[in-house]
Amino acid sequence: MRDLTLVVKLMMIEKKDILYSIIFGFVAGIAAVGLFAASGYLISKAALAPPLYALIILTSTVKLLGFTKAISRYAERYFSHRATFTILSNLRVSFFEKLEPLAPGIFQKYRSGDLLSRIVGDVESLQNFFLRVFYPPIVLVIVFLCTILFTSFVSIYIAIVLLIGLLLTAFVVPALFAVRQAKIDSHVREGRGNLTTEVTEFLHGFRDLKIYQKLHEKEENLLQSSDAYIKEQERENINTLYSQSMNTFVALFISWLVLALGAYLVVDGQLDGIFLAMLIMISLTVFEDASPMAVFPIHIQDSKQAATRLFSVVDWESKNKVKQDYKEQLQQSNPHSIEMTNVSFSFPEETRPTLEEIYLKLPACSKTAIVGPSGSGKSTLLQLLLKISPANQGDIYLDDVAINQINQEEIWKNAKVVLQENHFFFGTIRSNLRLAKDGLTDTEMEATLATVMLDHFSLEDKVNEKGENLSGGEKQRLAIARAMLKEGHLWLLDEPTSSVDAITEQSIYENLFEQAKNDTLVLISHRLTNLENMDQIIVMEHGAIIESGTFNELMQQKGYLYKMKQIEKELL
Amino acid sequence: MSTLKNIAFTQKKSISLLFASSIITGAMIILQAYFFVAVIDGVFLQGMSFSDVLPMLGGLLMTLLARTILTYISGREGVQMAAKAKAYFRKTLLSKFSGNPVQNSLQGQSGQKVSVMMDAVDEIDSYFSQYLPQVIQTAFIPLLILVVAFTQHVNTGIILIITAPFIPLFMIIIGMQTKKKSEEQLDKLASFSGKFLDTLQGLTTLKLFSRAKQQKEAIKKSSLGFRDATMEILKVAFTSSFMLELISMLSIGIIALELAIQLIIYKSISFFTAFFILVLVPEFYTSLKELGSSFHNSRSSMGAANKVAEELEETEQIIPWGNKTLSENSPPAISLQGVAYSYGEDQFSLSNIDTVIPPYDQIAIVGQTGSGKSTLLHLISGLITPSEGKIVINDTNLMTDYQEQDWFNHLSYISQHPYIFSGSIAENIAIGGKTDASRTSIERAAAKAGIAEMIHSLENGYDTQVGEAGRGLSGGEKQRVAIARAFLKKPSIILFDEPTTGLDLYTEKILQDSINELSQNSTVITVAHRLHTIKNADKILFLENGRLISQGTHKELIESVAAYRDMVTIQQGGTSK
Repeated sequence: MRDLTLVVKLMMIEKKDILYSIIFGFVAGIAAVGLFAASGYLISKAALAPPLYALIILTSTVKLLGFTKAISRYAERYFSHRATFTILSNLRVSFFEKLEPLAPGIFQKYRSGDLLSRIVGDVESLQNFFLRVFYPPIVLVIVFLCTILFTSFVSIYIAIVLLIGLLLTAFVVPALFAVRQAKIDSHVREGRGNLTTEVTEFLHGFRDLKIYQKLHEKEENLLQSSDAYIKEQERENINTLYSQSMNTFVALFISWLVLALGAYLVVDGQLDGIFLAMLIMISLTVFEDASPMAVFPIHIQDSKQAATRLFSVVDWESKNKVKQDYKEQLQQSNPHSIEMTNVSFSFPEETRPTLEEIYLKLPACSKTAIVGPSGSGKSTLLQLLLKISPANQGDIYLDDVAINQINQEEIWKNAKVVLQENHFFFGTIRSNLRLAKDGLTDTEMEATLATVMLDHFSLEDKVNEKGENLSGGEKQRLAIARAMLKEGHLWLLDEPTSSVDAITEQSIYENLFEQAKNDTLVLISHRLTNLENMDQIIVMEHGAIIESGTFNELMQQKGYLYKMKQIEKELL
Repeated sequence: MSTLKNIAFTQKKSISLLFASSIITGAMIILQAYFFVAVIDGVFLQGMSFSDVLPMLGGLLMTLLARTILTYISGREGVQMAAKAKAYFRKTLLSKFSGNPVQNSLQGQSGQKVSVMMDAVDEIDSYFSQYLPQVIQTAFIPLLILVVAFTQHVNTGIILIITAPFIPLFMIIIGMQTKKKSEEQLDKLASFSGKFLDTLQGLTTLKLFSRAKQQKEAIKKSSLGFRDATMEILKVAFTSSFMLELISMLSIGIIALELAIQLIIYKSISFFTAFFILVLVPEFYTSLKELGSSFHNSRSSMGAANKVAEELEETEQIIPWGNKTLSENSPPAISLQGVAYSYGEDQFSLSNIDTVIPPYDQIAIVGQTGSGKSTLLHLISGLITPSEGKIVINDTNLMTDYQEQDWFNHLSYISQHPYIFSGSIAENIAIGGKTDASRTSIERAAAKAGIAEMIHSLENGYDTQVGEAGRGLSGGEKQRVAIARAFLKKPSIILFDEPTTGLDLYTEKILQDSINELSQNSTVITVAHRLHTIKNADKILFLENGRLISQGTHKELIESVAAYRDMVTIQQGGTSK
């Protein structure tokens, strides 16, 4: 509930549209009631052969109410939808504000790739919160209360019946439904989870299943899960249907009661017969909007889940998580030195440490390669250097300043980084390169494209979301170009050319090392090429440094690097 | 679209039930109006006593109850039809996929298939549970009301007939406009809607370039842009309901006016008739409107059904298999005679593969990426069937004569990314065994595959759960599990897809030793990436663009085939410059 309160708070920024939605919703609702009331009255009046002018007034009232209803309905829809989309926009912006300071560290915590699309989906599904959960009940209750008030002038008993009807259809039946729904809902989700696992295993594991002759068994399991899941869905749907029918019947029964009571009162002389038709029409109309309330709990539940999931990602309430501001600055014009002493790191949910007791020393201006098989902790080392994750133990120094005394932003400002996964935004080559630095000229960008052998691209060329229209090698080269254009004297490159062919790689490295001549450079690679000119090679395995030195030293030692080199030579 | 309809009409009992319930519901609506009006008329004008109207009130209550129950029944029928249809679709898809999925997983489309199997099938639900019952209901109610109107007061019937067509007409016109509008806005919508996700995904990059703060405005701008573009489309839709409401209101107005004139001036109809008609007429227009909007709502189901239908249309290959057994324990002789395989027109194909693989031989399949190495391995394994030529095992055709089970009993396939099923490590190894393997034999196999030590280091040892898709195991560990499976199975043919990248030294050594040991008792066919494997092979099959360029030992090929020489030396040159 706390999370929904937060959503409401964000929603309230759009007070004006919300108010309009409620007002027009109310006008439309009450006009509908008035319309049918008037026509019921009209027909009864007509039966008594009234003067013509009375009929003319009544008919024009009916017409007027009809128009009012149609127009208000239009306005209600317009304002409520506009409000909804604006609210979504506010939600996105404020969510982004909360998430932004936590990135990229937070992506370590949630390593699943679908976290982000889940966030987007949850924000989207909150659009139902205003549209279905928040304002329609308000409108419903106001319309009801006004109708009941009006009715009470005609007959207090009938007003009481309507009030009971409101309580039953808007509160009692939906509440009963909610209780039963909650139980089924968890079964449905469980069923879906099971089935997804079965389907995924069937499709991804097909080859192994087939050869180990477990396919048939798997098919059986899958169909069983599917049946169980469908069964739960069926139960859920029937439960919904049951509640809806229940609510419809309660509503119809109330109208019946109005009729029966009205008839009795008319016969008894307590009510003028001319009002009876009107009262029935009122009752039938006003309950038309109440029946859908039966499934109201579903929408509440959905919104609540979406909100809870959304806010569990960022800690919403700690407004500014006492973000410490460190005073230390890095010398912008000089290359930096790096030192790590006794650094260890492990991911929260893993028992094996990812990095263990790392000591290293990289002097300013030095060129270092870190090599080792995948999973040996190379990339994690880089993340610690960038202060994306904090070390569990040990100290890291940049220019002899401990990095826990430096702001992340300060480090990033001075670093030219190419990660394994580099993001490219929907737009053009130009807009993606421009991220690197303010005031870049086209000539500069074109020249840099040439140094990474991408001169066949024009700056106008379109880039799709995530750079999907670029090949792996093109993306890597574009990322290198972006890093080259950026300010800074610390190059941190994580397998920047793994998808680039050997010849292109060679010439890119020539350009890159020329540019980085006076800078500090750390290159992570699992290919063992271009190591000869490095000042230092650090070999890692299972989170530990197992040897380091220059290429010649390590080759002469005939240790780990030597053997890896032998294996690589063998790879075709 | 037609698929859904056809499936619906195969459930004849349900459909007739829906039709029946629809007709009775229509009757109930009319009866309900009748009773309401009769009671009011009774006490208001006819001066009946309360006990006089009691039977009618009782009848009314019954009618209301019946109407509710009917709606519930037809809704439930719809839900049950949906359940049957979903089960049917999943089952059909499953048998389709099991006929054809190796190609699918080769083409990397497994993810898409999962979504078809889960989401597309689920979306079909609303067609049966909502759309169909509603369409059948709303199709009859207007008709019935029309009939009643004609019997009660012909003029009303005529007005209904004249005005009714305007509703579908307007819906069509406005539907076309909405479509046009949304096509106009499509680009805008697409570029706006992805912006938020795009920004979130690129947040790391943005922060590394100190650009994150500026994105707030961009998100706001695109969100509001999306809002405005959507509102443009929605406005058309809202106008449409506005117009429809006006039409029905105007029509009801005309009917009311005509009734009033008849009632007051000509006194040709009674209050009862006039009121009765006036209560029924709105139901007539409401049904028509609902019919229109339910068409609109069925679109997503139709789209989903099309997706499923597309999957079902893809051709499948059923491998016939036969009855012969392959009982001997020594490896059989394999021969490929003019084998060809194509993924479809204008797509990759493998052609004219002729070779002989004697028992106990070590075969290396070599070639550039995309030359058809994996396809060839799949053909030999019997997972896919050649489109031309045949694979002969001990002088007998593999796929038409041997028992499927028997063949796979002789085979192990160690892929680059072996699939790890959710379950314990022991269960994952045991999947290789023919029957229930004992824990000791599982442990022995694990030890031979060099993974025992790693398993012991885990808290739960062999009972450690490895999750969906084997999360928690590295690539090298997965391959070692697959090798343990092979040690347990003791196959006479091993198909091995060698890793393309260098693993750690330890895993490399284990892989080599294990394969060596396994090859003592079996024929090993390897998609090779290591010179060591290639040099030791008894025969190399060198593929280029789906053709078997040449075969022979490393030495023979180096001497005689330029392309092979190039491939080996360039690769070497690239690494040791």
